[in-house]
Amino acid sequence: MKSGRTPAVVIGVRSYGESDKIVIFYSRKRGRLSGIAKGAHRSMKRFVNKLELFSHLEILYTESRSSSLVRIDQAELTDPFPLIRANYARFAAASLVSELIFHWTRENDPDPRIFKLLLWTLTSLENLKQPPAWTAILFNIKLLTLLGYKPALTGCAECTSLAPGSGPYLFSPGRNGLLCRGCATPADSAAPEAGPELPFSLRTARLLQKAQELPLGKLDRLRFSPAATKEALAILKIYGNSLLQREISSWDFIVR
Amino acid sequence: MNVVPPALARLIDDLARLPGIGRKTATRLALHILRRPAAEAHELANDLANLHETISLCSNCFAFSESDPCAICGDPGRDGALICVVEGPADLMAIEKVASFKGRYHILHGVLSPMDGVGPAEIRVDALLKRVRMQGVEEVLIATSSTVPGEATAAYLAGRLQGLPVAVSRLACGIPMGMDIKYADELTLSRAIESRKPAA
Repeated sequence: MKSGRTPAVVIGVRSYGESDKIVIFYSRKRGRLSGIAKGAHRSMKRFVNKLELFSHLEILYTESRSSSLVRIDQAELTDPFPLIRANYARFAAASLVSELIFHWTRENDPDPRIFKLLLWTLTSLENLKQPPAWTAILFNIKLLTLLGYKPALTGCAECTSLAPGSGPYLFSPGRNGLLCRGCATPADSAAPEAGPELPFSLRTARLLQKAQELPLGKLDRLRFSPAATKEALAILKIYGNSLLQREISSWDFIVR
Repeated sequence: MNVVPPALARLIDDLARLPGIGRKTATRLALHILRRPAAEAHELANDLANLHETISLCSNCFAFSESDPCAICGDPGRDGALICVVEGPADLMAIEKVASFKGRYHILHGVLSPMDGVGPAEIRVDALLKRVRMQGVEEVLIATSSTVPGEATAAYLAGRLQGLPVAVSRLACGIPMGMDIKYADELTLSRAIESRKPAA
C-alpha cells in the first residue's frame, strides 16, 4: 500500500468507536483528505494533543486499497494555534473557515493557494492582527476568488454602470454581484430562489474589491467599519450559501 | 431466504443503532441475549422501558437523576459554594469516581461547536449564570476537556463569569501520570511548565 507525507490542517475531528478518531484535513499535496487514526484517544505518544481542530501538522499516512479513508500513521505538530481556542470569536471564525473549506473542496484535488490562504487565515486569527470577523470576510472573498466565483463588484452585474445616482445598490446572489437601482427591479430578478437581494453600499463593495486584488500580506491594511462588517458578512453568507445550495452552520456564530 | 427470525433481526437493528456498535457486534449481543434465560431478557427490557419514565434532568445542575433535586444537589454535606462545570454526565461520573471533589456540578450537555450548530444558547450557560447570582457561589471550576471545543467553551464561560463576584478556576493541564516526558507534545509541556508548583 502506498504511503505519503504532507503538510495538513485539521478541519474536522470525530470519535470513531472507543479509541479511534476520524480526522478530516486540508492538505497541501492531496487537498481534502480523510483519515482514521487508530487508537488516537488512548495514544500517549503518537497522537496526543495533535489531531485537534485547526492544528497545522505534517502527517504520514498509508492509503487503503478499498476505501478513500487513509490510515494516519504519524503526526508532527507544526503549529497548534493555541490562542484561537482561547477566544470564542476567533474559535467561531476558525470554525467557519474549516466548514467552508470542507464544503468547497474535494478529496484528491489539491490547490496550494487554498492551503496557503488557510494558513494565512489561521495565523491572522492567532495573532489577532484584525478582528476575527474581518479575517472571516477576507478569507471568504479570497476563497471565492480562488474558486472562480468572484462576485462582480466593479459595476452593476447587468449594465456595468456605477454612475453616481444609479444607487442605492443591491447585492444579488442569483446574478453574482452588485445591481444598480434600474436593474434590480423584481420583474427581472434572475433567480429569486438563489436568495434575497440585499442592500449593498458602494463603500463596502470597494473594500471587498480591494480585498480581491491585494496579496495576502497586505490584507491587514484594510479597515471595515461596523456597518461594512455587518453588510459584508450578510452578503458573503447569502452568496456562499446560494452557491453551495446549503446552510453553513458556523455563519450564525460569527461575532461582529 | 431469510434465515434470521424477524424478532431477532429487529433486535439486531435496534442494537446496531447504539454508538460504537456495528452489525457484527449487534448480532453477537442479540444471540447472547437469546441464549440467556428469558428472565434476564425481561429484566433488560424492563430496565430499558423504565429509563425514560424514571430518569429526568435535575432542575438545578441538569444531571440525570431519579429525583429532583438530584442526590448531589440534595446532599447537605456537599459544598454549594463550589460548582464544577462539566460537558456531560460521563464527566461527572469520572470526577465522582475520584471522590476528592466535594462541591456540586453544573452539566452543560455539550460544548460550543459552531460547525454542528451548537452555540451558547444550546448549552446551559444562562442557567449557570443564574445559579452563580442566586445561590451564593464562591468558585466555579471549569472542567471541560482540553480539546479545542472544550477550551473554547472554557474561555467563553470565563468571559461570561467575569465581573461576577465569583472565583473562576480551570482544571490543571499538563503531563499525565505515568507518561514519559520525552513523548509529551510541545503544547502540553509548555502548559505543564506554566502551571508548575513548588515541589515541597
